[in-house]
Amino acid sequence: MDLNPPPGENYANPRICFFHVLFKAGALAFYILSALFFDSFVIIFVVTVLLSALDFWVVKNVSGRILVGLRWWNEIDDNGESVWKFECLDQESLARMNKKDSWLFWWTLYLTAVVWIFFGIFSLIRFQADYLLVVGVCLTLSIANIVGFTKCRKDAKKQIQQFASQTIANRFSSTIQSAFSVV
Amino acid sequence: MSENKPNTIPLPETAQSDIDEIENLITASVQLAPSTVQPVRPPSPTPPPPPSIPVSTSAYIPPNIPPPQNKPAFVPAAPQQPSNVNSNANAGPKPVIPPRSNMTGFGPPQNTLTEPVWETVKRDVMRIVSNLKLVVFPNPYREDPGKAMRDWDLWGPFFFIVFLGLTLSWSASIEKSQVFAVAFALLATGAVILTLNVLLLGGRIIFFQSVSLLGYCLFPLVVGAFICMLKDNVVMKMVVVCVTLGWSSWAAYPFISTAVNLRRKALAIYPVLLMYVSVGFLIIAIN
Repeated sequence: MDLNPPPGENYANPRICFFHVLFKAGALAFYILSALFFDSFVIIFVVTVLLSALDFWVVKNVSGRILVGLRWWNEIDDNGESVWKFECLDQESLARMNKKDSWLFWWTLYLTAVVWIFFGIFSLIRFQADYLLVVGVCLTLSIANIVGFTKCRKDAKKQIQQFASQTIANRFSSTIQSAFSVV
Repeated sequence: MSENKPNTIPLPETAQSDIDEIENLITASVQLAPSTVQPVRPPSPTPPPPPSIPVSTSAYIPPNIPPPQNKPAFVPAAPQQPSNVNSNANAGPKPVIPPRSNMTGFGPPQNTLTEPVWETVKRDVMRIVSNLKLVVFPNPYREDPGKAMRDWDLWGPFFFIVFLGLTLSWSASIEKSQVFAVAFALLATGAVILTLNVLLLGGRIIFFQSVSLLGYCLFPLVVGAFICMLKDNVVMKMVVVCVTLGWSSWAAYPFISTAVNLRRKALAIYPVLLMYVSVGFLIIAIN
């Protein structure tokens, strides 16, 4: 992953990108700046966690779908077992995704988690248990999304590879067969 | 995937059969292990059946990190039950139509990947409402608890816990922040620990299902807390709390008790009741 956005393209979905970043940045900003304006922990907690939860929802349901074409969720099947489902668009659509969009998506995802970890360490050093609670909740949400989407991505790559190798193998074998049959 | 039939150049016979063979193999392999997103049956406007059948799925055997789902707030490192391999092969007769790549999301919804945002919001809200109705209010599905909480989600519990914390904090005249933090942490860790309790007793319940359930059963207590916040009369508070406590316990009982075997029912139920009683005390004692 490179540090700079891929050149030569514009964002395909600027509004979605904006919202994707908005709630993350909002939660972080509120957490940092609130100490200056509010002295009530309750407000800080509720607003930060609410923004984080909103961000989780937006990333999982909206920007994940639209910016990178991935989605994950959990279902309970008829046997009562829980199954995690990972969904991705087919290869052509995936290839047509805007590179800048996905660059932004993944970078902000990882960056937010790192920043929250940093804040967590900070509040740990200061022995502030309640702020640690806030950071803990927000971090959990970020990591959940990261893990889910990374699994989707791995899945998508694996399936593409599988399909490609299968097609190649079949073609190869049938070519050989036909070669032998001619002879 | 597109049709490979050459239709302009007359090919020698062997080549033609090759291509047919490849196509058959492709079709067969897709039917066995779907690897592209197929257009799904048009999503029903009413939510409860689980959303579209995704095509590019793989049953996920969870390792040590369980990624939590829809609603988080309390996520744990507890292991889940192993999921069985679920090859969700929606093998339609013609699995080759790629979904229209309508990336703005506003277009005819062909599967959940391209549905409009409003649909998703509506679906989630309806799910919260239906879960609430199933768990807390009397309905015929309570006979079969496993089915009732099939579509678990954690948004409902999240909002209830936050609201309860806010209500308690509002009613408190001193130390508001502490009250809120204590209430939130108590309920969140309580739900997780109670679920672990059921699982460790050999109960058959899914972790998130149980957490979600315990959160939804808080609803009566939330209502009670709200009423107590409005009117500060000790006797009335006690009556309200008793009624809502009974309601919460009644709501939670069948789900928990059917999850463990008979001899351990009390062991599983008692801590749940204890937690709700302690919340009730919090509501009464706050002034």
